[in-house]
Amino acid sequence: MKIKVIRRVVQLAVLAVLIAVPIYAQNPIEWAPSRIALGELPPPRVSRVWGDTWSFSFYGITVTHPLAALEAVLAAKVVYLPLLMAALFPLIITLLLGRIFCSWLCPVGFLLELNQRLRGFLRKKGIARDVRLRDYRYHLLGFSLVLTFFFATPVVSAFDPPHVFGRELFYLFTYHSVSLGGITLLAGIFIFEALASERAWCRSFCPAGGFLSLLGAKRLLRIQKKKERCILCGECNIACPYNLRPVELGIDKDFNDKTCDNCGLCRDACPAGALYYTIRR
Amino acid sequence: MRLSRRGFIRSSALLWLGFFGFKMRKEAPVLRPPGATRDFLARCIRCGKCGEACPYDSIKFFDISAGANVATPYINPLETPCYLCLQRTGEGKDEPLSEFLLCGEACPTGALKKIRNDRDTLLSLPDELKIGVSVLNRDICLAWQYDSCGECYYNCPLRDDAMLDYPPNEVIKGAVGIRPYVNEKHCVGCGMCNYVCPVNEKIARATMEPGRKLTYFEERYAAMVRNVIGKAGRGVRLPAVRVVKRV
Repeated sequence: MKIKVIRRVVQLAVLAVLIAVPIYAQNPIEWAPSRIALGELPPPRVSRVWGDTWSFSFYGITVTHPLAALEAVLAAKVVYLPLLMAALFPLIITLLLGRIFCSWLCPVGFLLELNQRLRGFLRKKGIARDVRLRDYRYHLLGFSLVLTFFFATPVVSAFDPPHVFGRELFYLFTYHSVSLGGITLLAGIFIFEALASERAWCRSFCPAGGFLSLLGAKRLLRIQKKKERCILCGECNIACPYNLRPVELGIDKDFNDKTCDNCGLCRDACPAGALYYTIRR
Repeated sequence: MRLSRRGFIRSSALLWLGFFGFKMRKEAPVLRPPGATRDFLARCIRCGKCGEACPYDSIKFFDISAGANVATPYINPLETPCYLCLQRTGEGKDEPLSEFLLCGEACPTGALKKIRNDRDTLLSLPDELKIGVSVLNRDICLAWQYDSCGECYYNCPLRDDAMLDYPPNEVIKGAVGIRPYVNEKHCVGCGMCNYVCPVNEKIARATMEPGRKLTYFEERYAAMVRNVIGKAGRGVRLPAVRVVKRV
């Protein structure tokens, strides 16, 4: 079975949850005290499921993005224990399995993957260009964290695209409006990737992805190659969204360190079945 | 040392960014949800869960124009006041909807403190955790001027503690009805009084639109509201009872 199929199911489920949570939490009526006092309105709906990929609560169980927790600690200069507990689970998952958040859960990553089809179409028409970008994720992360520390306010929290996406959905269903800043950012990313550079945000700019990359550098779950099966066709190199070279696995051992997000596209693309997931010994 | 144009732009861009960051990092002079700590802007990770948890959608969020306050929550009592997670029953009693105020329960970072949702806790809340405090302007208050209102008193969720029907230690000649008085010690600044106060532009203009069916509020208060606003003159802050941030 292809990994991509399972991954798409998970991504669609995340998208469905992100849409369902604010729909369930919204209140359809404008509340006025006199109307409530007269018993004209039913009691408001008290929902216990809140949040998006940045921080999510389900009946008292909270999961928070590790970078959000780090930013709050850096900005406030105090350690709040429930926050660290909430960040613990995703932290352990990332340490063990790498940044599977990016490939399996991130709603914007999912939509940007679909955006590649639009890009392919535009390239055929000769509109889209190929801008080469280096990996600026760690620079942006470091800069954001320095700003967070010295100006005492979380920075990445304000513009992390999957969080902005969830936030805009919440604004849309609750207040029936979206915020200008968030929509501009998301639209900018999508248009830039369609016209100028393939997967530019995930590859070169995303500070949250960079942070998860650093956490997952020594992960256990890795992609590995059976050398005797490999026919050196290079299909995996083409499939990789991060321009890594799975075909060189076992020759260049640095390849698997940080950037790979265990999406499994190379494994799916391999015609000889040479690539497989393994737990590092 | 020779500085190339690109290098100059690069280094000055960093400086400018830092400068703007410093300029933009200012606490917005707005009402934060109940339980907001002093270092709210530092602790808030902009997750938006307080707004999602709010049963009346009273909590709104800033857009990018608010600088460093982007996506942080605020309450505008004129739009929707904080109902303190209460549900009014027919008998005029307020039943709590939840054990804790839901915004504080949803907050993952402790930027909003978890506050137990009962009257005693709310009455003994420390000042820095309150939303604000109501300020009543007696000159344009219909109850004080015409003895004919009292909406704020009747709608206050902490009635008889935060809002009294008569000022203590004061004798007023000829007082018949309610003379609302804000007890600053107990007022949490939920903004219910601000929301229901009829002394506002909308009601003052109501009778000027021909053919419109007036609501009960408008029919009852429009003339008096026009009188008090006219007497107070330009520049008076409406409505008569407003929530301001505690300092």
